Amino acid sequence: MRRGNVVWSWFWMILGILYFFLPLLATFLFSLRAKLGVLSFTAYVNIFSDPNFIYNFSYSVLWALLTIIAGILILVPTAYLIRLRLPQFRTPVEFITLLPFVIPVIVYVFSLVRTFSQPPLLIVDSPVLLIAAYTVLSMPYMYSAVDTGLRAIDVRTLTEASQSLGAGWGTILFRVILPNIRAAILSGAFLSFAIVIGELILAEYLVKPAFAPYMNYMMQQKAYEPAAMAIVSFALTWACMGIIQFVGRGQQGQIAAGH
Amino acid sequence: MTHLTLTDISKQFAQTTVVQDFNLDVKSGEFVSFLGPSGCGKTTTLRMIAGFETPTTGRVMLGDVDITDKAPNQRNIGMVFQAYALFPNMTVAQNIGFGMQINKESKSAIKQRVDEMLTMIHLEQKGNSYPSQLSGGQQQRVALARALANRPKVLLLDEPLSALDAKIRVSLRAEIRAIQKKLGITAIYVTHDQEEALSISDRIVVMFEGKIEQVGTPFEIYNFPQTAFVASFVGTLNTTDAEIFNLSKKLIKIDGVQLETAEDLGGRKKGDKIKIAIRPERLNFASVEKKANVFDCTIENITFLGSVVRVQVKVGSNRFNMDTFNNPFLELPKIGAKEQITCSREAVLILNS
Repeated sequence: MRRGNVVWSWFWMILGILYFFLPLLATFLFSLRAKLGVLSFTAYVNIFSDPNFIYNFSYSVLWALLTIIAGILILVPTAYLIRLRLPQFRTPVEFITLLPFVIPVIVYVFSLVRTFSQPPLLIVDSPVLLIAAYTVLSMPYMYSAVDTGLRAIDVRTLTEASQSLGAGWGTILFRVILPNIRAAILSGAFLSFAIVIGELILAEYLVKPAFAPYMNYMMQQKAYEPAAMAIVSFALTWACMGIIQFVGRGQQGQIAAGH
Repeated sequence: MTHLTLTDISKQFAQTTVVQDFNLDVKSGEFVSFLGPSGCGKTTTLRMIAGFETPTTGRVMLGDVDITDKAPNQRNIGMVFQAYALFPNMTVAQNIGFGMQINKESKSAIKQRVDEMLTMIHLEQKGNSYPSQLSGGQQQRVALARALANRPKVLLLDEPLSALDAKIRVSLRAEIRAIQKKLGITAIYVTHDQEEALSISDRIVVMFEGKIEQVGTPFEIYNFPQTAFVASFVGTLNTTDAEIFNLSKKLIKIDGVQLETAEDLGGRKKGDKIKIAIRPERLNFASVEKKANVFDCTIENITFLGSVVRVQVKVGSNRFNMDTFNNPFLELPKIGAKEQITCSREAVLILNS
């Protein structure tokens, strides 16, 4: 690469980093100014000692975990079946999983409320509806991650080898396929986690405790604490990305060498 | 051990028939190879035995049991795949013991059997290794042990050595054959490599375009090919058109050259056009030894292949290859020289198209 190109590459990279990190830095510095005249973590202490924060954040974590479980139970067998037996359905299913990118969440939540607020489907108050809604919202990420994981292994031959040894479908899925796409599932899981933690509209309109509506409420009441919560939210998301990278690197080598 | 019978097996995918009129009876403990070019239906037939494909017509019997409609996991058939198909998330020992775990055998029984298998494949120290830590040859040996650990009734091998380099292939195929003989298990082996099939099989099923061309021992397949395809696919061959000259004396003519054959010319008459074949190693210089057929030729080319010297000769308008063992004390003729070559009556094969 010519020296001139290297200089320009560095220039644009630094500019990009500054573009993304300067507002974040400003937010962080603002969050440290809760105590007059001194930089301190007072806003962070206030958040973590607020029982409402613990209450709402815990529920968000619970919704996220349940969403991840539901996503795995629905999407892993679906992606597996499509890869193994129904390749002709791959394109329509991929289209369906991408619909959450197209349909605005506000439209989505209003149609959920309208559909499930009257008999026989009166479940608008149930957390099941929220979990189902989150599962659909995180579908593009979870399905894509699982599909990518399945592409990295020889699904058909592993399945046939398992069958030749007497294994049924449950054993094949849970003891052979799932462990070998663990990194992919974890990637999808952490992405889903980040989506659910940061999601506002569904929890707000389905009237369930969650982190994002709590943060939204605090923004109307206080100044420094919402900034601190935004930093905490970013830190959580980056932690999820870091774990995905760490887990994904380890298993890729094992699977590639095994081929 | 069990007897395997395939009766009137055929397989169609959409409008394409990939296997037809497949009939085979495999004796208990026999090692049978399906040999043929890519696309001839050998793997499809194997997969129908395994249960991964359902025959369009016909039945698969394992002993007295009709397994045609049985799920693959209910047939107790072991299979070794070309791509090894070891479970990357399990150790070598766990891979080998997987089938026994499915059958809910005791931990002690599994451990004992796994140790036996590891000893059989000479990988005693590799039980706790993962497949990614093994070479290709080691992985395939583990795959073989895994298929055998469950004591299957039949062992199926789908081109298990194709992904390995030549030297490993030679040693591993001998190992597979030795293990099969020791255990006395019926085995079906799919390959497109004729040397592999010839060296390890009790019988070979040569297939072409979904049909069986010939079934026989390696000796029969090589020395007495019944069709032009078998003759050309297995080993190298000189083929040419000929005409029947004298039915009672079994004389044929190729381009003015008269040859005697030992083959049965029944059902034909004088003047009939036929196709004949002669193996290169059945030809020799008449100066070395004279056999029933002696004819003139011109030396066109000489190629040194190590232990074999290939001499290309012109007989009339036909070109034949003659393979002779390398003998440093034998003076080879010069290119362009006129020589006489010879072959026995038995060497002249009549091919059915």
